[in-house]
Amino acid sequence: MSQLRIDEFIPENRLLASGHLACPGCAAPLAMKLTLNVLGSDTIVVMPACCYTIIAGPWPQSSLQVPVFHTAFATGPAVASGIRAALDVQGKHDTTVLVWVGDGGTFDIGIQSLSGAAERNENILYVCYDNEAYMNTGIQRSSATPWGAWTTTTPAQYPESSNKKDILAIMAAHNIPYAATATPAYPVDFVEKVTKAKAMRGTRFIHVLSPCPPGWKCGDDEGLELARMAVQNRVFPMLEVEDGQRWRFTMDHAGDLVEPYLRRQGRFRHLRAAQVAHIQAEVTAHWELLLRRVQAEPLVPAGVAVAD
Amino acid sequence: MPETIATTPGTRAVPEVAISTISSLVTRTGSWKYQFPEYHDRVAPCNAGCPVGIDIEGYLNLLREGRVDEARDLLLAENPLPAVTGRVCHHPCENACNRRALDGAVAIHAVERAMGDLAHERPAPLLKGAPRAERVAVVGSGPAGLACAYHLARFGYGVTVFESAPLPGGMLRLGIPEFRLPREVLDKDIARVAAHGVEIKCDVRIGTDLAWDELTRTFNAVCIATGAHTSRALDVPGEQLPGVRPGLAFLRNVNSGKRPKLGKRVIVVGGGNTAMDCARSAMRLGAKVTVAYRRTREQMPAINEEIEDAMREGAEFVFLANPLEFTEKGGRVHTMVCERMVLGEPDASGRRRPLPTGERFTLEVDTVLTAIGESSALEGFFTDVEGADSGLRVDALGGTSRDLLYASGDVTDLARTVADALGMGKRAAIGIDRHLRRYHGDTTELNALRFADGNLSAARWLRRDPIRRTAAVNKVVTADDLNFTQFRRVPRHAEAHLESDIARRGFSEVNSGLSTADAMDEAKRCLNCGVCTECDVCLIFCPDAAITHAADGAYAIAMDYCKGCGICAAECPRGAITMTQDRP
Repeated sequence: MSQLRIDEFIPENRLLASGHLACPGCAAPLAMKLTLNVLGSDTIVVMPACCYTIIAGPWPQSSLQVPVFHTAFATGPAVASGIRAALDVQGKHDTTVLVWVGDGGTFDIGIQSLSGAAERNENILYVCYDNEAYMNTGIQRSSATPWGAWTTTTPAQYPESSNKKDILAIMAAHNIPYAATATPAYPVDFVEKVTKAKAMRGTRFIHVLSPCPPGWKCGDDEGLELARMAVQNRVFPMLEVEDGQRWRFTMDHAGDLVEPYLRRQGRFRHLRAAQVAHIQAEVTAHWELLLRRVQAEPLVPAGVAVAD
Repeated sequence: MPETIATTPGTRAVPEVAISTISSLVTRTGSWKYQFPEYHDRVAPCNAGCPVGIDIEGYLNLLREGRVDEARDLLLAENPLPAVTGRVCHHPCENACNRRALDGAVAIHAVERAMGDLAHERPAPLLKGAPRAERVAVVGSGPAGLACAYHLARFGYGVTVFESAPLPGGMLRLGIPEFRLPREVLDKDIARVAAHGVEIKCDVRIGTDLAWDELTRTFNAVCIATGAHTSRALDVPGEQLPGVRPGLAFLRNVNSGKRPKLGKRVIVVGGGNTAMDCARSAMRLGAKVTVAYRRTREQMPAINEEIEDAMREGAEFVFLANPLEFTEKGGRVHTMVCERMVLGEPDASGRRRPLPTGERFTLEVDTVLTAIGESSALEGFFTDVEGADSGLRVDALGGTSRDLLYASGDVTDLARTVADALGMGKRAAIGIDRHLRRYHGDTTELNALRFADGNLSAARWLRRDPIRRTAAVNKVVTADDLNFTQFRRVPRHAEAHLESDIARRGFSEVNSGLSTADAMDEAKRCLNCGVCTECDVCLIFCPDAAITHAADGAYAIAMDYCKGCGICAAECPRGAITMTQDRP
């Protein structure tokens, strides 16, 4: 069979209900669906202010068939730490506490409590679904917005002038058990990573590229294709880091040029050739940095005895 | 129970701790959409490209599901001679295959060949329509005649085929050498046609042994499929010299088991399949063969594999060579004088026209075989039928200008391949069936029997089209409509060939095809363009969880919640979902 039967790899349960309020083509509910498919119903979600606060549904509705705590913007990991402690007191060690946050709540507003929780190695799974701006409030830039991008606060004449924070390296530097990148456009890889994270204890961090058609100014049906392009052109490589030390690619990256990816999105339409070349150079440099990190991984995993 | 707190008068009270108690299903987000996804089976390009009108995607899909007998029945519903076409067809299906854009076309001909051979081992149940009183005569037992007879027999008619040669098969037996089509394979395919109740009378030449008007009097309808058996003349001086022979006559000789003496040096003039068959046969008789063609390799009308086989077996090619005259020595041909040509502007056939340069060159030769085309010759035939002297003019269903006289194959003025002949024979059978049922409506309703603008489907004519999962749209799926993300690269299976030096020593079949197991694997390379295979990609990628498995095995879309984003249609690997602005 030449078709990869992804259905064989993806557990099915219906913990995400229809009728949620995501925009057409939003990848965040897809990421949520895949995550809950793996985690199952023994899960408590902690949700600081983000798009998903709205997507989940207005009171008294909820599109998630698991408990959700809506929290203040900066407090996701802190609230999760408290819930974890309360569960542990009750002996509910197997219940997964999932913090589900956008890029604003992770890269900007929530980074202190995330860093604190990671420092304490709180037993929580933190998923940042990154749509690369404050989309819900009207597409304002965040520190996850890529260099050169248009947002309503970085108009085309003065586009985003800082590089996107390397949040994976920041989290890996906390030496937490597991940090990874993922995207629902590669659902098998996504599910494998959530499955791996679920089986671990301690702070686990997954950085999810989640295309936003209104904010990226692309067609409603183009988001997943763009995410695959971002992976293949190494703008958003698929990585895993264990214990902050062992870096690993989880798939092959074709190394396509970034220009077709940029040109398909309205938020990059103003870029001139020199700016595209600058982005390409940055992507290439970051890739070379990643290669050094990945190659630094010992060939023999720790704990395996080597005969001489 | 949390207490409620006072809010602005007139608004709803919100509890101190707001806990959601109901699901979001009360919000019908489907009202947001302006476009609607629909599952539509569309036409795979192989089906549209098949001159026979075989549901190729359909039988490959059945093979993928392991339903081998059903696949065989679907193939045999359209093609009476799959073991033959699997070997000799020029397979335009593979040129159309969307998999070319990924890792190479599916080797459809090799799968068809394996299915054809398998069908010999496991004879198919004879599915036939209700018997009908009318009797039909078919003149000629080549691919066109056999196809017409076979389909008419399946439609319920009594059919008699008249063949002037001692054995049936027409050009398949007399024109195509055994090393491409072993006679036992041909015999078995023809035996299946006969087993459908087709009576085949050999050694009867219509127009000589039996008059044409007697035939039309005795039978309710006649289909003429006598082929084109006369080699076109070069019309150059010296063509009458001993040693210059029509290629077709040579092939007929060799294919009847004779081994004529050719001498050492043979020149074959022409670039079509007859030329290649002549060249390869002559090499097997010990000759050193040169093929002279007036255009270049790119313009050669022969099947690519045949050209490559001829080259591998040692034939030399002289391109841009146009014969001007043959010279004589000792009462036999001695040299061929050629003019060097150059390619000019494209002609009516779309190929670049060869233009003379004035430069001459001479090749020494013992035997010349001419193969620049064939024409038909009808003896004692009705003079009032349009095209009787050149090629019969026929309508879309093979009807000639004379009532109840149909024609198909090379005797018409249409395309000249085995596959085209099989397709024309089927069209004539449907034409005769319509005619005898006194159905005289216009032919636009026949479009429902087509794969897009391809040939007619006999299964659809008999209303035995296998059940489709979804409503069909008669539109071809292009590679742009597909999403290759979910497909892995799987190399095309290669057929086993005899080594050229061994092949050249005899008339054994050169291409031994794929093993049955490899052919079944090759069938799984089919992308099933345009046809839902229930792979769950749409269900997995729907961000609104609006797609579910339906009770009947396909999918259901909850239109109350589908926001019309189009991700299902974009992510569908095979273009089986269409976004439409018409509310379903």
